[in-house]
Amino acid sequence: MPFRDNREYIEALEKAGEVVRVAQEVDWDLEAGAIIRRSYELKLPAPFFQKIKGYPKGFRMFGGPLANFRRLAIAMDMPADSHPGAILDEYHKRAQHPIKPVIVKDGPCKENVRIGDQVDLYELPAPMVHDGDGGRYISTWHFVLTKDMDSDWVNWGMYRQMIHNSRDMGGLFLPTQDIGVMYYRKYEANNIPMPFATAIGPDPISALASCASYGVGRNEADLAGGIRRAPVELIKCETSDILVPAHAEIIIEGEVLPYKRVDEGPFGEYTGYRSSPRMPRPVYRVKAITFRNDPILTVANMGVPLDDADICLSVCGRTDIKTILDNYGFPITGIHLPPECSGHMIVVAVQAKYTNIASHIANAIWGTKLPYPYIVVVDSDVDPYNITEVLHAIVTKCHPVRGIRAQEFAVGHPLLPFLSLEERMWGKGAAVLLDCTWPLDWPKEIAIPRKASFKEIYPKEIQEKVLNNWKNYGYK
Amino acid sequence: MPKEYDTFVDDLSTLPEGKELILAIRDLAPGNRKYDTRVVKAILASSANKLPEGDILWLRYQRGSLRPEPWRIKIIDEREGLLLKEKVYDT
Repeated sequence: MPFRDNREYIEALEKAGEVVRVAQEVDWDLEAGAIIRRSYELKLPAPFFQKIKGYPKGFRMFGGPLANFRRLAIAMDMPADSHPGAILDEYHKRAQHPIKPVIVKDGPCKENVRIGDQVDLYELPAPMVHDGDGGRYISTWHFVLTKDMDSDWVNWGMYRQMIHNSRDMGGLFLPTQDIGVMYYRKYEANNIPMPFATAIGPDPISALASCASYGVGRNEADLAGGIRRAPVELIKCETSDILVPAHAEIIIEGEVLPYKRVDEGPFGEYTGYRSSPRMPRPVYRVKAITFRNDPILTVANMGVPLDDADICLSVCGRTDIKTILDNYGFPITGIHLPPECSGHMIVVAVQAKYTNIASHIANAIWGTKLPYPYIVVVDSDVDPYNITEVLHAIVTKCHPVRGIRAQEFAVGHPLLPFLSLEERMWGKGAAVLLDCTWPLDWPKEIAIPRKASFKEIYPKEIQEKVLNNWKNYGYK
Repeated sequence: MPKEYDTFVDDLSTLPEGKELILAIRDLAPGNRKYDTRVVKAILASSANKLPEGDILWLRYQRGSLRPEPWRIKIIDEREGLLLKEKVYDT
């Protein structure tokens, strides 16, 4: 059965040894963030803070909700120790069968309601996640819901939100992102405020689905239903017609104002760096806040891998790209976005059927709206989930000149650390293909080196003999 | 005890000393409203000697790193709302 909410999920994680309840009072000002970050870096269970300094009893914080594949397997109701490839394949399979949400009249997210002058963002224990951040980021494991101006399309996306003051938040969203399409090209272009709602602490699959690049006109709520194998329950906002997850911990409602820009950021981001400059960015004006009794504010402390962002990018990005490449009929044998690479690298394994197929694949990927700076195409004998095999293919099969194809004028964004400050500000990107396939015009038995692995450099009969006698040699 | 604030700046020439200017600062007073943004008209100085009655103003670079020596700030009055900026690019 899918988890109805964040609380059922935490309970399941706890049973699987993936949660530590922190009874000691913790400061929202850097201390909680530091604990969450250290838990990632030491690969430890997710901290569930029971007492936040200065906040009423019952106001809690949960860090690192989806920071490893084990938590992802549990979230998807699969055996906890499933192989990452099996989890990703299952996600992809379920994504093909979206389920529409259902509307309910009552839900726990309405247990406490603050409207108009009652609104005070400081009522919630928003963390100062990293030292040097531009403010308290209340929204790091959440999604922002916005409805298209002239259709029924409702976008969910995990776009960061920073508190400016008791009623205003700032955020970064790019013109290539779905929220950017809605805001910059439609609402703002017509000088109309864009209604929004933010769901903090939703069920884990809804949060994950919100990270997908699901496409213009397609609702991530349907995707979430498909992955959960049950519809998401939605309830109407207090101040707009937007429908929000009824079981989310906290809902923030309001409008993004047209042509208003206020300095936002910097923030320690998914790339592992605090790279984006503080810049004038859109403003979310808050009109209402609703929350559950004893709310749990969920926190993803993005930084160096592995953390929640790396897992989400790995899962959602893979299905986004696999769908496109499958539609083109490429002879793909595997795709992986290694979470160690912060969503910046795609490894595609292929049966190289024609010359320059690697370039063909790379161009198809670069034609999507997400800027993947590194694409690695390997032959089908390389397991894309095995980072050792991938690195070996790069350094042995990719010609240092002919195998590397640079894409100079790619779309960039301000979070890419390798870009200059000017390039980050103006979205001037770059990308590269590492072609690790053997050229088809090399004679197989003469020019292509034989891989010196157990499976490939010994005759079948020797392999069988060795395998049959393995225990006799003293190995277990 | 002087109060403490901070602001983000790369180019110090945008913070002329001894002149009234409007800027956004974050209130660093401990408590649940720490880091609240305030828009103020104020006079700044790069050292305590130049503005002995001023409060402390820490300066951070635009990417968050803290400059080692704080400035001083004397708040003249406070403005409602946020400090609006020119749109640079949609990021």
